[in-house]
Amino acid sequence: MSDSIYYFIQQIANGLTIGSTYALIAIGYTMVYGIIGMINFAHGEVYMIGTYISFIVLAGLTMLGFDNVFIMVGLAMMVSIMIASAYGFTIEKVAYKPLRSSKRLIALISAIGMSIFLQNYIRLAQGSRDIAMPSLIQGGFLLGDPDGSHILISYMQVIIIVTTIICMAGLTLFISRSRMGRACRASAQDIGMTNLLGINSNNVIATTFIIGASLAAVAGTLLGMYYGVVNPYVGFIAGLKAFTAAVLGGIGSIPGAMLGGLLLGVSESLTAGYFTAEYKDVVAFSLLILILLFMPQGILGKPEVEKI
Amino acid sequence: MKSMVKKSLIGLGVSAALMGTSIAQAEIKIALAGPVSGPVAQYGDMQFIGAEMAIEQINKAGGVNGEKLVGVKYDDACDPKQAVAVANKIVNDGIKFVVGHLCSSSTQPASDIYEDEGIVMVTAASTNPDITLQGYQMIFRTIGLDSLQGPVAGRFIAEKVKPKNIAVIHDKQQYGEGIATAVKSTVEKAGYNVVMFEGITAGDKDFSALVAKLKKNNVDFVYYGGYHPELGLILRQSKELGLQSQFMGPEGVGNKDISSIAGPASEGLLVTLPPSFEKDPKNASLVQAFKDKNQDPTGPFVMPAYSAVQVMADSMKATGSTDSEEVAEYMHKTAFSTPIGNVKFDEKGDLTSFNFVVYNWHQDGTKSEAK
Repeated sequence: MSDSIYYFIQQIANGLTIGSTYALIAIGYTMVYGIIGMINFAHGEVYMIGTYISFIVLAGLTMLGFDNVFIMVGLAMMVSIMIASAYGFTIEKVAYKPLRSSKRLIALISAIGMSIFLQNYIRLAQGSRDIAMPSLIQGGFLLGDPDGSHILISYMQVIIIVTTIICMAGLTLFISRSRMGRACRASAQDIGMTNLLGINSNNVIATTFIIGASLAAVAGTLLGMYYGVVNPYVGFIAGLKAFTAAVLGGIGSIPGAMLGGLLLGVSESLTAGYFTAEYKDVVAFSLLILILLFMPQGILGKPEVEKI
Repeated sequence: MKSMVKKSLIGLGVSAALMGTSIAQAEIKIALAGPVSGPVAQYGDMQFIGAEMAIEQINKAGGVNGEKLVGVKYDDACDPKQAVAVANKIVNDGIKFVVGHLCSSSTQPASDIYEDEGIVMVTAASTNPDITLQGYQMIFRTIGLDSLQGPVAGRFIAEKVKPKNIAVIHDKQQYGEGIATAVKSTVEKAGYNVVMFEGITAGDKDFSALVAKLKKNNVDFVYYGGYHPELGLILRQSKELGLQSQFMGPEGVGNKDISSIAGPASEGLLVTLPPSFEKDPKNASLVQAFKDKNQDPTGPFVMPAYSAVQVMADSMKATGSTDSEEVAEYMHKTAFSTPIGNVKFDEKGDLTSFNFVVYNWHQDGTKSEAK
């Protein structure tokens, strides 16, 4: 009996870990959609770039002889956030801003083009092979009998979940309390009107892209350290899953993206744990279809007319 | 005036001489098809350096029937769609001899095209048995089959490791699933119980749920059919999540990248690989030639690729022809002496004998024979 409970909790913990990173990436999709109503398909690539940058910084610091893991990871995350934000900002300025007044489909194609461009640019610059990094943070919390049934949650899993909670809390505070957060919410309701009221919508949109890219960089650093490998193609699958999470939770809704990410992660983990790993994606996407059939606006989304 | 005539006469003579040499030095093109890019490009490199070395040495020894061999690289990225495009390009480029492809899933669709177009194809790496099951006349391989490799691994598990609970995991691709199925049936015939037989998705990064399930089933032996990017992560996550189990994989996981991905977790991994041809004293001078060029002759597909080129070149010499059908016919009925030993093809184009050996993998990327 206790055996199966331990197993269940273990699988939930595994699912929450992967789910929180889906949620971090999903924020970027959902915020951009909330404000300008387009899907930023290059977002997964920003996550991939974030992972590469943190790997480069970590490798550099190791070569310089740093040995404090927390300083190293902190620095890597900061540099990764800065550079990924610069990418997010530039992507918006180069690929989306000139098309803002044109049809949505055109911006969408531009986004797909940007995604392909970034993937290939990194492939040429860094090579297409898996780049690996040794695990910096090892060990974990063990509950139960070490030789019998037990739950093992690695420190890295704890760090991922805790960091995600901190980021989400920070973002929620920012959106609900700060001036810029208010401007974001107002722009999400009616961007034309907020413009008339003297809010610079260009700044709001740029901020949205920067926040999305920063969270993707956080996810990139964490997942990079958790898995220890990166290649130029990781952004595509991660982006697809995060996009699914955003749609599942209700695209445009920030709490929805968080919920969607966790739900997707846990459902994948439980499928692999109780059914078979082969059907992981089948179940996750069937869930998406079912939810969209019965709640077309997603779990927490507002019913809305035609944005894409 | 006179000098001009003279000059132009000399000119004519020179150009005629040049033309003459260019006719005598016509090239025989050999397409080298495999992944130059993509996640398994390192296996492509093994195949390319082996084939290129063979071409270089054959040319140095006077070429084939007075003509030079030229290798042309094509990148299929181990993607079946791209492999078909590459095969069509090879047809359009008028090339009649192919060394490749690497991944079984690429070789399979490409081989249909080569057979139709009368192009000789020798793969040095694709081990899936289905490829030669169609009775094609132009398709050969200088490597053993999964159906040989699986039983070798299965017998080793049953006779040497003797585990209690065996799990067989594969990546749902032609190569991985084929070999995993062969291992499963061999250990089951030996009276062992396979408690888990499951597929994962290639390209996936998170295997924590799978590892937790292996732990729950008290699995003490895992056979993985697939490639190193996924097994590396499974090993790494198993170590982090405290799974105590022996792992084993086919030659698709046996390269240095698994050590860099999995780090210490790769120590003691069992791998079935073609024998270390580079240790054969007969190949000493060839190994030295690779080392002189700063290339690694130890990869499992280097010598098979070398042999693939050599077999084609020998057949062209013996038949005195570059007609692909004639060459293929000759290849079917002759035995060749190559760096991978005596090569003899059966009517399907498979080697009549090929040994796989079980190795212990070490975290520094080296291997030693397992006992």
